[in-house]
Amino acid sequence: MRQPAMTRPLRIGLALLAALSLTACDREAQRESSAGFAGLGEQAPAFNRAQPGTPLSIPEDHGSHPDFRIEWWYLTANLEDEQGESLGLQWTLFRQASIPPDERPEPGPWVADQLWMAHMAVSRGETHRVAERFARGLTASSAPSRQQAGVTLEPFRAWLDNWRLESRVTDPQRDPLSRLELEAMAEHNGEPFGYRLELIAEGPLVLHGEDGFSQKTADGQGSMYYSQPFYRIDGKVILDGETRSVTGRAWLDREWSSQMLEPWQTGWDWVSLHLADGRKLMAYRLRGGRDEGSGDYLFGNLIGPEGDSTSIDGTEMSLTPLETSHVAGRDMPTRWQLEVPVQGLDLVIQAPHANRWMATSVAYWEGEVIARDRESGERLGEGYLEMTGY
Amino acid sequence: MIITLATLLSHYRRHPGQLAMLLLGLWVASALWSSVQAINASARDSYARAEALFTTGLDRLERQDGEPPTREDFLRLRRQGLPVSPLLEGQIEVADGTRLTVIGIDPLTLPGDNAFAVAGSTAELGDFLIPPWRTRLAPDTLAALELDAAEAEGAEPRLPDGHQLPALRLSPSLPPDTLVMDIAAAARLLEVGETLSRLVTAPDALEAAPDGWRLTRAEALASPGQLTESFHLNLTALALLSLVVGLFIVQAALGLALEQRLGMLRTLRALGVAGRSLVGLLALELLLLGLLGALAGIVSGVWLARALLPDVAATLGSLYGEQVGTELRLPWHYWLGGLGVTFAGLLVAGSGVLWRAARLDILALGQAQAWRHRFRRQLRSMGLAGGTCALAGLGLWAWVASRPPGEGLLTGFGMLAMLLLASALFLPPLLAAMLAGLARLVRRRPLAQWALADLQLQLPRLALAMMALMIALSANLGVSSMVGGFRLTFLDWLDQRLVADLYLRPTPAQFESIDSWLSIRPEVAERLATRSSEARLIEVESDDTTRSLGLPVNLFGITPGEHLRPSWPLLDTLEGRQAAWQELSRGEAFINEQLAIGKGLSPGDRLTLSAPGGEERVRVIAIYPDYGNPRGEVLLATPRLAERFAAPPGSLGIVLRPGADGQRLGSELTARFDLGEDALQDQREVKRIATTIFERTFRITQALNALTLVVAALALLASLLAQARQRRRQLAPLWALGVPRLRLVTSQLAQLSGMALATALLAIPLGIAITAGLVKVINVAAFGWRLPLHLFPGDILLTLATAVIVALLAGAIPTVTLWRTPPRALLAEGEIT
Repeated sequence: MRQPAMTRPLRIGLALLAALSLTACDREAQRESSAGFAGLGEQAPAFNRAQPGTPLSIPEDHGSHPDFRIEWWYLTANLEDEQGESLGLQWTLFRQASIPPDERPEPGPWVADQLWMAHMAVSRGETHRVAERFARGLTASSAPSRQQAGVTLEPFRAWLDNWRLESRVTDPQRDPLSRLELEAMAEHNGEPFGYRLELIAEGPLVLHGEDGFSQKTADGQGSMYYSQPFYRIDGKVILDGETRSVTGRAWLDREWSSQMLEPWQTGWDWVSLHLADGRKLMAYRLRGGRDEGSGDYLFGNLIGPEGDSTSIDGTEMSLTPLETSHVAGRDMPTRWQLEVPVQGLDLVIQAPHANRWMATSVAYWEGEVIARDRESGERLGEGYLEMTGY
Repeated sequence: MIITLATLLSHYRRHPGQLAMLLLGLWVASALWSSVQAINASARDSYARAEALFTTGLDRLERQDGEPPTREDFLRLRRQGLPVSPLLEGQIEVADGTRLTVIGIDPLTLPGDNAFAVAGSTAELGDFLIPPWRTRLAPDTLAALELDAAEAEGAEPRLPDGHQLPALRLSPSLPPDTLVMDIAAAARLLEVGETLSRLVTAPDALEAAPDGWRLTRAEALASPGQLTESFHLNLTALALLSLVVGLFIVQAALGLALEQRLGMLRTLRALGVAGRSLVGLLALELLLLGLLGALAGIVSGVWLARALLPDVAATLGSLYGEQVGTELRLPWHYWLGGLGVTFAGLLVAGSGVLWRAARLDILALGQAQAWRHRFRRQLRSMGLAGGTCALAGLGLWAWVASRPPGEGLLTGFGMLAMLLLASALFLPPLLAAMLAGLARLVRRRPLAQWALADLQLQLPRLALAMMALMIALSANLGVSSMVGGFRLTFLDWLDQRLVADLYLRPTPAQFESIDSWLSIRPEVAERLATRSSEARLIEVESDDTTRSLGLPVNLFGITPGEHLRPSWPLLDTLEGRQAAWQELSRGEAFINEQLAIGKGLSPGDRLTLSAPGGEERVRVIAIYPDYGNPRGEVLLATPRLAERFAAPPGSLGIVLRPGADGQRLGSELTARFDLGEDALQDQREVKRIATTIFERTFRITQALNALTLVVAALALLASLLAQARQRRRQLAPLWALGVPRLRLVTSQLAQLSGMALATALLAIPLGIAITAGLVKVINVAAFGWRLPLHLFPGDILLTLATAVIVALLAGAIPTVTLWRTPPRALLAEGEIT
């Protein structure tokens, strides 16, 4: 992600993350002007900084990077049940370092320097179920697998309580993320909802930007960012007491950073698409420039069926809201135009259901979208849209 | 208008005694009332803060083996998807010896918004969670840490054990003497490693307890407000009593002030002041006086409350385990309420005066005889009103009697109030009749005859003071007999229940090894193990009817050993004591009196209780008294409780053989098993603690009771002082006729003390009736236990003596002035008329 950015009054948990992120710098001063969405625009000099030229190392980078302030394992999937009805799901594990590496506390029972947050969502038609959990963690833990939440490498496992994303790969030569099992269950008004699914990657990992450095601001702030967009996914989804067999496509994002945004950036719109011709498209727009009226920051990646990336910069694309819907007391753009003339793409991206508000402590919009050709109206693909800071 | 008001008020300049008496009445009435209300308001504030805390309102999970849960348990349950949160609770001692409760929470898993509420502004949650953490506490906890509110924020006080508290943050919504911090900070402070006090979950988040765990639902943990309601109601009733007594004084003073101003009022009317504006001005006068009295009353009420609150707090702490702040916290409506009640009382007391002023007959002559005539009429109407009150009281009594026992606390108080009021209203007619009868008997003795006739003349003015005295005396007698009776019963009951010589509270892990070590010690005659647990009383089947209850109850297990059986008190059994004990050993149950009365249970009923393995059914074989326990309890034999309800080991009573050295055994135990300081107590110590708690519980009752009596004495004194001048005027002719001063003085004192004695004699049966009402109705409804009616001749004599002494003291001052007045002045008094 693409992270969440903030302009409206803090909600509780949002503030939680914001407050936790105020560490290296003068906390009081920071509190005066919480910067960017969820504090993601705060300067964090005592943490490691994401910068170009940092080679990624797989599979180690699937694990956590405690010396960076923020990190996530973010999975979205577009599904279809046996009756052909569409469903969507999201599973995310967020990590936030609450203390810079050189100020970490003495280990002790319950002592924490990392905060974990997990979100899950299942949606079908107008139904949208969301759950959220938190946990504390300690970087220097002698037994990482004995933590309430965390990510281990051998075997790859990302979890919080009983919500987990776990590798099913046994061959050490293969990427641990190429075959995963995902499980999460929660309750809504006493009715269980959740899923248990298997994911198999049909293509390679994809590094965004400059070999995995994804620039987010004109001044060079950014994150380390790669994806596995080629999953086929199948399994069971439980919703409103009904269990359904589903199949579909999933997209996993891995991203970490210490300062992702500039303080003046208020939020972003991000979209990932599985195109019918086998290509994948990722595009984002970071809203708000340094000066009044100065532009948004746009970037995209058009991924070929074999995993080859074509970066698209702000001069080559436009991402424009066409229509808004009233959701959770605000107007959210739920119909977009995405134009990449050099690639011959002119898409209308429409969210069939506007009710995809994630009323979590850090609140944002995240839901399924359908992409069509603007001229012909032909359906070209499906995917996920995320909007923060509205 | 202002001139008229000034004219009316000028009366008080000439009779400052009356003004003093009026204000005194208002002052004491509102002071006692406000103090009790202040205590109640502060206690309620504490309850509200405690209830807002996460220690109540959440379901609890504890391990079935009685061991404290650990972080490993927490993680395992979370990995099973159960939404449990760890909670750590412990005590630390601060420099001045106060023990503060430390609560460690994990705000990330704690259900609901509690954590955020506790953390105050959300931006502070980060500081709360991250080393070096924060300590959140209410401002009234600062005193224990010897800090001012000004320097408190951010302070990091050091504890006697060398630990330093995380930086302080004030949070007024927290309960007193409680420190809330992150669980990591609490674990470090309490040095408990990864062990926890318990796990909590949102209410009803779990359908059943996980294997190996005991689940206590939040609703089973009765909220402090409910438990202590009757305690506060009792206080309120006592305060109301003082208010009424105080208002009697006010009424007396107002009546006197009006009588003496009748002439003035007539003159004012004759001068053209309209009747309506006269009444308006009198009402304004009342208002001014009321404001003055109420303000003084509230100020001293708050002072009094401050003095009484530590005792109240200690009582509530030991009885109900509730922490009540010892600092007053008064909401704004408290102040308005205090003023309101005083004004309302004043209006009731003054309405008669205003009524009479409104119907003032300009032409009537203010003469003593005419006045007496009217008093006769008043006596008749008092008799009628008294009769009405008595009937109302009877009605209430009939209603209470028709209800199942344990109901009708308010009605019970209403009944007692009616009884008091009826008796008070009957008092003047009775005294009048008595005086008339006596006057007939002493026809031959002129001075005695004069004294009686004179008393009859004084009666209208003394009547109200005597009424106040009687109410105070009888209530005093009633309450002290109740407390005394309870004390006897309670001490007896303690003796019967505490049969072991030593009481040991080992940790669950040590229990087995200590028990087997004790089993082979020659000096140990018997070991009496207890266990306890919680359950829900699902259903009761009595005869053919089945009732669903869903009531949370305590389960308590005792060992029905040979030393316990003969003495353990039972109130009622199914087929005698012998059979009852056999049935208990077999697995049937006894229940406590509170449960029996509260839910209308009797021996023979069958109970269905929730148990870890499903439901368990037991039969009620006997009912036992269980003073001081606010909750219903089901008693089982310890082994049965362990088998059927998986209750963890509790305490162990050790009965020694005659002549065995308990002290040596105690020190051997302590040394061998490394027992904590409080783990072993001998019987005398347990009794001493229980008795101390008992004494403290009733200290406030006794204090308020004594204050009521003081108010009544003041009422009498004030009435007599107010008419001292007039008395001298009436005595002067007698002196002039040759009656020696000494005889005049003694006859004066005899008049008063005789009257007081008569009042006190009437107060005694009334007091006994009140005692009966308290032990048979009020206590049963408020606490759930009946007490035998004990009478204490010493108390009765003391009541009589108090009355006479109060009367003598009250009469002494006017008498002394009479004694000292020079003859010429006395003669001059006579001429003024």
